[in-house]
Amino acid sequence: MRFTPNEDQAAFLSVLAQMTEAPEAGWKASPDWSRFDYSASLDRMLEDNGFFECAREPTLGLVAAASLTYQLARVPALVECAATSTLRALFAPDLPRPVAVIETDPLQAVPFLPTAKAVIRLDGDKIAVAQLEPGVVQEVSSLFAYPMGKLAAGAKLDWQTVDGDVHDARAVWSVATAAELAGCLKGGLDAVVKHVSERQQFGRPLGAFQAIQHRLAQAATKAEAAYWLALRAADRRTPADAALALGYTQEASGRVVQDLHQFMGAMGLTLEHPLHRWTYRARLLRAGLGGPTANLRAYYARKWTNA
Amino acid sequence: MDFEWSAEDRAFRARVRAFLEKELPANWPEIARHGPGSREQTEFSLEFCPKLAAAGLLMPHWPKQWGGGDRPTWEHFILGEEMWAAGEPRGAQYMNVNWIGPTLMRFGSPEQQQRYIPPMAAGTAIWCQGFSEPDAGSDLARLRTRAVRDGDDYVINGQKIWTSYAGLAHNCFLLARTGDGASGKAGIAIFLVDMKTPGIEVRSIPSLIGHGDIHETFFTDVRVPASARLGEEGQAWSIIGYSLANERVGIPRYEMASRVLDQMVQELRRRGQGDDAVIQLRAGSAAANCEAARILVYRTVEMRSRGEAVDAEASLARVAVAEAEQSVTEFGMEFLNDAFTGDDHPVFLAHHERAIVTGIAAGATEIQLGLIARRWLGLPNGAA
Repeated sequence: MRFTPNEDQAAFLSVLAQMTEAPEAGWKASPDWSRFDYSASLDRMLEDNGFFECAREPTLGLVAAASLTYQLARVPALVECAATSTLRALFAPDLPRPVAVIETDPLQAVPFLPTAKAVIRLDGDKIAVAQLEPGVVQEVSSLFAYPMGKLAAGAKLDWQTVDGDVHDARAVWSVATAAELAGCLKGGLDAVVKHVSERQQFGRPLGAFQAIQHRLAQAATKAEAAYWLALRAADRRTPADAALALGYTQEASGRVVQDLHQFMGAMGLTLEHPLHRWTYRARLLRAGLGGPTANLRAYYARKWTNA
Repeated sequence: MDFEWSAEDRAFRARVRAFLEKELPANWPEIARHGPGSREQTEFSLEFCPKLAAAGLLMPHWPKQWGGGDRPTWEHFILGEEMWAAGEPRGAQYMNVNWIGPTLMRFGSPEQQQRYIPPMAAGTAIWCQGFSEPDAGSDLARLRTRAVRDGDDYVINGQKIWTSYAGLAHNCFLLARTGDGASGKAGIAIFLVDMKTPGIEVRSIPSLIGHGDIHETFFTDVRVPASARLGEEGQAWSIIGYSLANERVGIPRYEMASRVLDQMVQELRRRGQGDDAVIQLRAGSAAANCEAARILVYRTVEMRSRGEAVDAEASLARVAVAEAEQSVTEFGMEFLNDAFTGDDHPVFLAHHERAIVTGIAAGATEIQLGLIARRWLGLPNGAA
């Protein structure tokens, strides 16, 4: 067992760290107070350097793609990474990106669809992909910190089946979702830790109060377990491990998100602080692939009934 | 990154399981019912551990010099998982293997090493840990038991409480104050005390956590030679720091929790309740908590196996372990409540009684949360 990256993964992560620390990844309010800030320059930097293809590299693999997704979820700026670096890289590498994913209901709004050039469907018994022509997507407003859209009623798409097992693809997508959600929890937690370390009330930092320390420590425990479960699921790529990682992280995320907002106080209720970027991605991802109930039951089924 | 066991690790685990299969009697669940400190389990351990030693499985990670096999950290850990999950047939002797032996190897005098280590390596030594006192639990540095130098001896007076395994122990790893009352951490020394020394009285405390597990231990004018002191006066804090770092993650409790949960689910399936969506959700959630605990514990073992110092990572693991244990015991009590009445399910009863200790023994959860807040999150030290 080795919890440290191999040489290639370490190099990959170290270059990635430089990119996620660059100004374009950081916080800036959207001019129209939109809930997300898509960074085209960070996206281009990652694409030009081949980062989104890492899952296909034998020495990098799905673990690197999950790490990439996790690290990008920690920054305030938004880039479409989860679907591109996992499903697209492994099942449809020639598909244009950004990519949106339809998990269950083809008429439901999903992230990135308004800006996506292609869509991947996992709701049937095959993996299906289609390129998106102008006019087939309807942008919808939402609480969630992603561009959200749905397929326009009556839109005709040219669906193509791609090679691969849809159960495997759903496991890969569960890993990606778990990694992104874990990254959102970590990003939000880091921001709240910074806030409570600086904000003084009653003559001392909020973070010196035990009531706050203990709940943040519990949140940190869950965030850390979520991170490692996502990486282990990426390494193993089995439906059981994927359901475990996603179900655990989704179940944990409810309480963690509430606590993050609680300790950010009124500041966290504004669009002038980035906390909502993480928590309103997390609130969408918590419902991903059926949400914690479906995923923990799926884990039960894989573990105890060989379903 | 690689999250799989090596072929060597798997072979080692299979060897341990085969040994347990062969050596544990049919009535083992009844023997193990009342916990590692019970008379039945202690007596069993004195038969079992010598066989374990003969098979090279008592302390494979110890240095060859002390009868060990110089085996890797992971083997020590796999051994701990299999033993604890089986109900701990080593009884109280797991403490010798995990930290008392290694601590004596590092800090003991040659005489202490020759006297105490070979019986541990033979599987015939029972030790207890004299740490907590009525006014010194989580705040251990407040302990008041005094050891006063008198010529070539020390005379010890005081009281210990919650002392695990004291009733049947041969020796005590005792913390006592040699400095004045205000000396704090710097005034404490360790004594290796023969429990048959005149002046020691042990009273078992009736408890919820099995037989013979917790005691009050009174020391009245207990005279021990100065050669019973481990290390120097005032060195206790740094020595136990080493001991605990050596075994900080503690007992691999999630392994037993995980296997007991498995038996609970099998029982519910036998009863035709396997299709109940609520049971599936709650069992899936408890199992996920066990896996969260497991992966955080493995991370600390992996760090240790690379020689990296483990700090707040151990506290993260312990908080997750307590959560896992609690979710399994709650699951059983909710959906198999009747199994906690009568004697039909000794393993569930034994697990429950072990699980309610988690979060209290060897560093309360609140202590761990404070460590995480300050050492992992970097939050400021607060008094309130």
